[in-house]
Amino acid sequence: MKLNLTIQPRLRLNFSPLVWVLLTLMGIAFIVAMARYAFGIGAISDLSYSYPWGFWISFDLFTGVVISSGGFLMAGSVYILGIEEFKPLLRPSILTAFLGYIMVAVALLVDLGQPLRIWYMMIHWNHTSVLLEIGICVMTYLTVLAIEFAPVALEGFKLQKWAHLIHKYIMPFVILGVVLSTLHQSSLGSLLLIQPTKLHPLWWTPMLPILFFVSAISVGLAMIIFESSLSSRYFQRGLETHLLEKLAKALPAVLVIYGLLKFGELAVAGDLGYLLSSGTMSVLFWVEILIGVVMPIVWFSVKKYRTSPNALIAGAIITLLGMILNRFNVSWFAVKHPDPMFYLPTFMSNVDYFPTLPEVAVSIGIFSAGILAFGLAAKYLPVFEAEPKSEEAHQPAHGLHPMPTAADD
Amino acid sequence: MTDIKHHAYLFDATRCIDCRACMVACSVENNIDMDKTRIWVAGIGVKGEYPDLQRGTMVYHCMHCEHPDCMSACPVGAYTKAEDGPVTYNPDLCIGCRYCMNACPFGVPHFDYDKGIIDGAFIDKCTFCPQRIYNGQEPACVQTCPTDALEYGERDELIKIAHDRIAEHPDRYIDHVYGEFENGGTSYLILSHIPFSELGLPNLPETPVNEVSEKVMEMTIPFALGWGTVLSGVAVGVGLYNKKKEEKTAVEEKAEASK
Amino acid sequence: MTKMISRRDFLKLGAATAGVLAIGRMLPPKVAQAARAAGQINADGDGYVHSMCEMCVWRCGLIAKVKDGRVVKLDGNPEHPHSRGNLCPRGQSGLMNTYDPDRVLSPLVRVGKRGEGLFRKASWEEALDIVASNMLKIKEKYGAEAMVFSSTHNLSQVQFENLLYAFGSPNYGTQRSLCFNAMITAFSLTYGVEEPSRKYDDVEFILMVGRNLMEAISTSETSELAHAIDRGAKLVYLDPRYTKTASKATEWIPIRPGTDSAFLLAMINVIVSDELADCEFVKQYVVGCDGIQAEMQKYTTEWAAKITGVPAETIERIAREYAAAKHNALAHPGWRTSNFINSFQTERAIATLNAISGNVLTPGGCLSADVAAEGAGLGVPPQPPYPRVSALRLDGTPWKYPLVPLKLGVFQELRDAIITGQPYQAHGWFISRQNPILSLPDRARTLEAFSKMDFITTVDIIMNDTAWFSDVVLPEASYLERYDPLLPVDGKVFIRQPVVDPQGEAKSALWIYKQLGERLGLADYFQYEDEEDYIRQQLKPLGVSLEEVKEKGYAEMAEEEKGNEITFNTPSGKIEVYSETLKNAGFSPWPTWEEPPIPKEAEFYLLTGKVAQHTQFGTQNNQLLHKYSDEPRLWMNTKTAVKMGLEDGDWVEITSQVGTAHSLLLATEAIRPDCVYLTPGYGHLSKGLKTAFGVGASDSALHVTYTDPISGGQALSQTFVTVKKA
Repeated sequence: MKLNLTIQPRLRLNFSPLVWVLLTLMGIAFIVAMARYAFGIGAISDLSYSYPWGFWISFDLFTGVVISSGGFLMAGSVYILGIEEFKPLLRPSILTAFLGYIMVAVALLVDLGQPLRIWYMMIHWNHTSVLLEIGICVMTYLTVLAIEFAPVALEGFKLQKWAHLIHKYIMPFVILGVVLSTLHQSSLGSLLLIQPTKLHPLWWTPMLPILFFVSAISVGLAMIIFESSLSSRYFQRGLETHLLEKLAKALPAVLVIYGLLKFGELAVAGDLGYLLSSGTMSVLFWVEILIGVVMPIVWFSVKKYRTSPNALIAGAIITLLGMILNRFNVSWFAVKHPDPMFYLPTFMSNVDYFPTLPEVAVSIGIFSAGILAFGLAAKYLPVFEAEPKSEEAHQPAHGLHPMPTAADD
Repeated sequence: MTDIKHHAYLFDATRCIDCRACMVACSVENNIDMDKTRIWVAGIGVKGEYPDLQRGTMVYHCMHCEHPDCMSACPVGAYTKAEDGPVTYNPDLCIGCRYCMNACPFGVPHFDYDKGIIDGAFIDKCTFCPQRIYNGQEPACVQTCPTDALEYGERDELIKIAHDRIAEHPDRYIDHVYGEFENGGTSYLILSHIPFSELGLPNLPETPVNEVSEKVMEMTIPFALGWGTVLSGVAVGVGLYNKKKEEKTAVEEKAEASK
Repeated sequence: MTKMISRRDFLKLGAATAGVLAIGRMLPPKVAQAARAAGQINADGDGYVHSMCEMCVWRCGLIAKVKDGRVVKLDGNPEHPHSRGNLCPRGQSGLMNTYDPDRVLSPLVRVGKRGEGLFRKASWEEALDIVASNMLKIKEKYGAEAMVFSSTHNLSQVQFENLLYAFGSPNYGTQRSLCFNAMITAFSLTYGVEEPSRKYDDVEFILMVGRNLMEAISTSETSELAHAIDRGAKLVYLDPRYTKTASKATEWIPIRPGTDSAFLLAMINVIVSDELADCEFVKQYVVGCDGIQAEMQKYTTEWAAKITGVPAETIERIAREYAAAKHNALAHPGWRTSNFINSFQTERAIATLNAISGNVLTPGGCLSADVAAEGAGLGVPPQPPYPRVSALRLDGTPWKYPLVPLKLGVFQELRDAIITGQPYQAHGWFISRQNPILSLPDRARTLEAFSKMDFITTVDIIMNDTAWFSDVVLPEASYLERYDPLLPVDGKVFIRQPVVDPQGEAKSALWIYKQLGERLGLADYFQYEDEEDYIRQQLKPLGVSLEEVKEKGYAEMAEEEKGNEITFNTPSGKIEVYSETLKNAGFSPWPTWEEPPIPKEAEFYLLTGKVAQHTQFGTQNNQLLHKYSDEPRLWMNTKTAVKMGLEDGDWVEITSQVGTAHSLLLATEAIRPDCVYLTPGYGHLSKGLKTAFGVGASDSALHVTYTDPISGGQALSQTFVTVKKA
């Protein structure tokens, strides 16, 4: 009798290398988070008396929220302004926003001293607190995004009737979503209003909320271009270049307004002198303006660059980098906590901050989870279907730029 | 029991000998962990070139501001300003967001970076020793100070005492009582022989630093309602316009078809 | 007899802490029964108890708050003249002294080699028997004088001395020659009083030579000085270091170490030459007023300027300002005056300056020689007379040091005699509340002296360095846990009473000395039942009950009738600026200049001093004080450091002719370029001090032993060192 000694594997984990990398990063983040819960924030980060907020807040909160601004832009454009042609961009941007805000919430669960009390912001209200407004808005908006994304998920699970039902009554939620987004995108800037002595004059202004909102629009536009470009490359689908071109055309206009507001504010406040005399701060400011404002204006003023896929993603990346630097400047780099010359007890003397590897690992892990979730959603849910499933389901959306094939070379 | 209507401290940097009795007293009175403190020393230490030297140190704790920025910033309202002066922190509401640490221009609130989720990580700061001041005693730091660098009493009276002292020794003091008006006034007043910034005190205007933030917050709900109304109006308008266009197109098509 | 050591008995200190105690917390002790009986503590163990601090010798009165039988806060007693309601940082940290996890709570008997830290627990019975039998063995074999007794002066000193004298040994070591022999001897010879008292109410001009009152805090005096300066009094402060007192002074004089007397003699010269002093008035009370002008002539300001490094005009101006303030001028007598061999002359000059200003001659003036003797007016238990002692004292008093009062002694000489065995060899050492290993100069030599001992016992509350090297350690109760003999201060007699029950098996010194005395066959000298009985006997002449004193914390004493006559307890009845006594002993009868040694090119003066957060060598393990202390480092002038290629934070090696130490460097502007400074009290050898072990360097390892032949005082700043990168 011959024994069959070959063992058939039951489960085949046939993940791509990218997925393995993402899973590993998520795993590391999880371990660090557990360490944080066991031993305290100080055990795994360099946060201290002088620096209560650091990398997590700058990256996960400030950056995380601003790159999710594409959601309300598209929702507002498509539903409120009725610009139907942007429909193909709607669902991916809602997904980006939805996942973005979930990442913010998860990051807060690691950063807060009492993460289990995060819901206190819903029932204990101090109406003068900017952070309360952000907390309520983010938590509420997350719900709105869930509702806005629900049809996609429902369709994916073949519950078309429910999807259609939600879709029918979506308008009030969209309006609520736009209002909430306006509020908290600007409020992230308002967070710094209470620190006029700590934030460098090149950035601190009572107009911070307006500047943040305007720049959030520009980031939203850039993010949609960026995400679409990446998705088209990775998922091997077409790129809606004609739509992106329109966004790329709007971007310089928004940035010009932003630039005028920014320099106008400096002039009115009499702070123009700081532009060249503030050493590192001046450098950071000019880098932020050049990369995030000037270059994208110049770049997307050229029609050729608005229509080429490579130029589109390049321009989007420049804008994102510049504006993310702005968020980092406002929340961290340009913030100086009191540093008297001599401190006693000496355990208070740590007046410098540099993020530790575990700190960054947590943020990267959360971000990886977001990417992974996006990929899963893109694969199994009709994220890239412009319309709810109907007879025209399998027709490609209009004007899709054909993918370059080998035959084109 | 106390007659004092508005509790306040007066610190005279010319009298302080940096002995730190106040700090030990505070730690003992309030049972503070060995690696934490509610009260600390900052300043220039020793300044100058031998032998023309100067010392300047300041004993820091919560300034018990008249318009506390921590209270303004805390999302869940964990800080309250009592009518008679002390600013109190309530750990039962705290979510550990540390926004108060950002908001406080003096860097007062301290956070438990070493506590995990079971012990709970909270803020700690000077409480103004309520267990003492409401029992006819002085706060622990004040009571023990051997040189009376730290004094305690009625805010108005202390301000007057401070100005009188400056008038009596004009060559000794900077002609200014820090905290009388800074940040909208504080209940920790300071006299100094060297510039206040050299003691580590920030240069603050008379308006509290939370003023702009609070003004913007006041506009939130009106703005939200207004913006929502505008958006609704636009949505309705656009909807109607599109419907009319559709109807027009439908009519035209019908007309075409019937031709 | 050797006792079998069970594994449970074996206690290796330096490893796990004594079992029961978690770090920083003690099991709640029983309510202090005495306090309850006095009604100060209620049934829950809450209440307030009056007592006295012992974190330094100033002994401020305190009010201890007790909750659930634990001390939770100490506040100054407003009725006590030394605290007036305030407590310095050490006073505030006092309860950490009681609740220190490193406390010794049961008698310990050494089982390893000396210095290994291997001890076993023993019962009081056994430990006291061992001590007594060893002491009696030594007495029998070598004579009572072969037993050395030493203690740093404290409230139970009267019974310590009782034990010593009853035992029949003349060898009494105290810390005094390491501290203030120069001052005491100088003022005893000049004014007939050990230490004149100071009053700052009306003072206008204060001259201080050292006496860093803002860091070497004596609460009430620090407070008075601070208020005087606040009021507008002028302070001229001589110190090679920019201490915190220097920062409060109107004028800081960074004088060359060892040259204070040159400065002062020049001042005296200016004043008497120009007859700025009211000599007619002063003449009646001062011996030497006639010849002083001639004697001081040679001390010109130019001469002094060359020696001190202080400009002649400055010395002249200060002299005139001092004189102008007349009897509202105060030249502070100083306290720890063990700096240079010529510190005695510095003190004589200070005494002279005060005399010619008339301040000590003015009733209610800023200086007063009218000081009551310690312990006057209190009762004593009955006892037989002490046995006659014929042996010479090993410390050379008075046969080598004729002018040093027996009460002061010359401690470092005693240590050296133990090593040399001259004039005879000592064999046993009984130490109580003292840390000679860190306090005596030249630590290696002290350890050598220890090795010569057959038997060493130490009474201490914590495993301090001396206990670490002892054969038997007897745990004393901390000051918050015990009674001590009463202490009169300014017309009131204050009590130290237990605030909480003693931890573990710790006992008061009064009990320990009596128990030991009984076993030594000296029961007749300890005729008191217990601590309370002793104090009742002390109170008898006052007619006050113990309960009264316990409740209030003190009792008033009858006001002494003060005559209007101002007299001085000197042979002539006057202030002896010119001293026959000194002349007869072969020394200069006038305050005189003695040339101090000067460091060579690459050498530095090694200065010592005080910090407000610590007391000498005993508090470094207190976690509360450690928390708020500066890191102990070697101070060096910034420019000097640069010249030597050293940087702030460097690890450096400090070498003197007797030893080496290592420390981190502090480059600072606050010190003369030719000096370095180490905060004393660090560099503990005992691993039983978990917080203090490994922190800082010991300056006693570097100090060379120099003794002033007149006062017996140590010269701690006369040690010169070289510094290099380690």
